[in-house]
Amino acid sequence: MNALSSAWETRKTELELPEEIDLQLEVANVGSRTLAILIDLALCGMVLFVVYSFTLLLARDTAGDLLTRFSGHVMTTLLLLLVFGFQWGYFNLFEWLWNGQTPGKRLLHLRVIKADGTPVSWIDVLLRNLSRPIDTFGPMGLIGLLMIFINSKAQRLGDLMARTLVIHETEIDWSIFDEIKSPETSGHGVVSHAPSIHLTSAQWELLHRYLNRRDRLQPDVRQRLARSLRENLKPLVKGTDLELTVLSPEDWLVELARRT
Amino acid sequence: MTLGVFVRKNRPRWQRLETMLGTIETRGPRRTDRSFLQELSALYRATTADLAFAQTHYRSTTLLLFLHQLVARAHNQIYRPHRFSFSMASRFFRNEIPRAARAHLAAITWSAIIFLLGTALGLSAVQFDERAASIILPTNVLDSIYSRHMWTGGIFSVVPAPVTSTFLFTSNISVALLAFAGGLSFGIVTSWILFQNGFMLGVVFKLCADYGLLGSLLEFIAGHGLLEISAIIVSGGAGYAVANALLNPGSYSRSDALAQQGRSAVRMAVACVPALVTAGCIEAFISPTAFPVWFKVALGLTLGGVFWLYLLFTGKSAPKVMPG
Repeated sequence: MNALSSAWETRKTELELPEEIDLQLEVANVGSRTLAILIDLALCGMVLFVVYSFTLLLARDTAGDLLTRFSGHVMTTLLLLLVFGFQWGYFNLFEWLWNGQTPGKRLLHLRVIKADGTPVSWIDVLLRNLSRPIDTFGPMGLIGLLMIFINSKAQRLGDLMARTLVIHETEIDWSIFDEIKSPETSGHGVVSHAPSIHLTSAQWELLHRYLNRRDRLQPDVRQRLARSLRENLKPLVKGTDLELTVLSPEDWLVELARRT
Repeated sequence: MTLGVFVRKNRPRWQRLETMLGTIETRGPRRTDRSFLQELSALYRATTADLAFAQTHYRSTTLLLFLHQLVARAHNQIYRPHRFSFSMASRFFRNEIPRAARAHLAAITWSAIIFLLGTALGLSAVQFDERAASIILPTNVLDSIYSRHMWTGGIFSVVPAPVTSTFLFTSNISVALLAFAGGLSFGIVTSWILFQNGFMLGVVFKLCADYGLLGSLLEFIAGHGLLEISAIIVSGGAGYAVANALLNPGSYSRSDALAQQGRSAVRMAVACVPALVTAGCIEAFISPTAFPVWFKVALGLTLGGVFWLYLLFTGKSAPKVMPG
């Protein structure tokens, strides 16, 4: 039960770097890994479907002229190579060339890395992907799913053999730390050299995140969030002039940001 | 220092590192100059210091997540493994594959035993009841044998050799790689594949002998048979090496034994790929044609012999410590 519930929570790796830092990365969960596989399989399936359709069209015409027969054989060979290539080559090639990513993984911001935090080499990629018939494809996928649930680092059999793990990469968005463009507040009669107010790091971040994102929010959501933020931050301004001002919630937050 | 001041002060550095990482990730380290790499490594070290500072002072913030991510990406570029090179590939084929095969001789022997067991059972099954052949052989092959003709003539005249060879080597390589991966099922899948292939060989032999086709069969498989069967047995050995790590991890933990044995066993599986491509081509281009029998026999013996000599006797012997 414990293992099952923890699979849906964020699991972190603790990797020790040579720089004496404990690097924490988010281990990819079952859902996103399954989805990434499905995307990859769908991609292979589409390509195969197209080639298969053309092969059928050409191969149907056995009594045709030499060129048709010849191209039919070429297409059949191509189809055979494609089926083989998708089965054994697709994951290997992409994860090798794209540093641990396939199209599906890239779409979902997943990446395969070594369990010690270093990038995967081609032999690691080979080990984890040759084992897919035993723990990923078809009904055997249940084994892989079970392993991802149970293992603390969400490693399936192939990951254990290759000593790899799949991580979820956080998207970095520095714009949440942008300076707040405050409108001229003197008109509201607020003293411009007011005493500064102390926020915790998390509060400061929350405030800036809201103010930098507010232009992209729906108007009603924007107002609601501003009100709830003000309610939460209000205790901090006790004893200053901000406690009593008549500013709208949003302007109030801007003014607060200016004083931190 | 408040978070705001910290971000204001260091953000240009982080964003510079992020841009540089974007460049090196798309272009690769070869196509960047020395000053670029020097700046990258300096920025990396500075950012790890920032991360350490943030870990102490700004717990549970988004900034910390970002810095972890940034340092991980930079770490990924700086501690990048050696890119693929021809000297590495040549070392892999010259030394590492034969070394791996010699390290797993017992597993290869077991693989051969299971295969031959399958062959013996196939022979005796047909001896006991001829209908046993229908378990494993397709009807068109059976019909052709019953009418005292080799089935190979029919197939190879309809479909041109390049198509057939592709079909043969892709399916054989799939079987070989599956035999390796089957080690993860504690060897069950590996055993099944070896047994099945051995059984099929036994059935075909006995049946052809009964219908006076033994000579034609031997002539057909002389060119490719030895190499093909050897490759399947070696890949089965790779599977058993993996299974053995799971079943008898010795003084290691099961996952450590698996990682260690898998790493050398996969080399044996890789060795089978070129061997099976060769065998598939011979089976399609040479075996069904009117090449003289002595040529097919000589070719088969040479290729099979070279394969085993390569695995058992070439390459430098293992150093005391296996390089990771």
